Amino acid sequence: MEQLSNLVISDHELEAIRATLSKLLHDTSASTVMLLDKSGQVISNFGNGVRRNVTSLGALLAGAFSSSRQVAELLGEKDFRTIFQQGMHENIYTTLVEEQWLLVIVFDKLTHIGLVKVLSKKATDELVRVLARVKADTSRRKTSVINVEFRSSVEDTIDLLFRD
Amino acid sequence: MALINIATHEIHCKIVYYGIGYCGKTTNLQYVYKSINPAIRGEMLSIATETERTLFFDFLPLDLGTVHGFRTRFHLYTVPGQILYERTRLAVLNGADGIVFVVDSQAEKFEENVQSIAELEMYMRRLGKDLGHFPFVMQWNKRDLPSALPVHVLDRYLNRRRVPAFEAVASSGVGVFATLRAISKSVIAQL
Repeated sequence: MEQLSNLVISDHELEAIRATLSKLLHDTSASTVMLLDKSGQVISNFGNGVRRNVTSLGALLAGAFSSSRQVAELLGEKDFRTIFQQGMHENIYTTLVEEQWLLVIVFDKLTHIGLVKVLSKKATDELVRVLARVKADTSRRKTSVINVEFRSSVEDTIDLLFRD
Repeated sequence: MALINIATHEIHCKIVYYGIGYCGKTTNLQYVYKSINPAIRGEMLSIATETERTLFFDFLPLDLGTVHGFRTRFHLYTVPGQILYERTRLAVLNGADGIVFVVDSQAEKFEENVQSIAELEMYMRRLGKDLGHFPFVMQWNKRDLPSALPVHVLDRYLNRRRVPAFEAVASSGVGVFATLRAISKSVIAQL
């Protein structure tokens, strides 16, 4: 399993991601829809209410998903591509977008899980296309952002901030 | 895997602290949390057992603020060190941009350290990464304990790649930030 070292998301592709998430949020009446990188970083977050601790939520959901894939391996399954977490008031449905991203839908009891499954499949298909474009474009776009000046400024900031 | 979001002007990097049980991974993060400027850090999250052993991971987000037009964030994770959590360690390693290997310097822990670094190398190969070409630093922790092995011994047997290594007493903060600075810079250099 070869892993990418970087992923660069342009304005244009983030717009495409946001449009997909927004449509999914609207059509499912979910409370929140998120796109995470499998490393736990939040790429985009859409919702009716602003969620607190979205960073921690991303880390935990990605951790839980990564952990479930290890369970799959132990059971001799190729993988588990979705996780459904059911609560008293809210439910979370997480599904894999290729091997790179996680689409997360948080919804309440007024939304049927079947609808979430079907519509998230459609959204995933669209996100797979976005991901392919992002991968193809990453190295070209990276050079426009990560240059000597940037690295030097970050190093200075690290020296300034990472100390007692 | 570093995520560079041009649209929102954000860069995210993931750093994982790896090592055997009780080597001081969580202590490193706790010290950073306690000592760093509170404006930089987010909430620290620990998924631990009732006896405070790490069950899944610890998580500490750090935000450098806007540098050269990009908001740069480092997310620090620890793995659970106990042997039975090997699969969980692999799960947490997924998507890492840099690794700190925390060594318990005590002589009686030497063999466990050797096994742990061999496990890490195996996992990195499974993830398609070569530890020899990856942001990676060592920390010789617990230097204050009487049975701590000499640094040159640790260096010879545990640091075959001759990566940067730092002496530390994480419980009192010695070496904690030197280690964090080194791995952060190494991650940025590899972006």
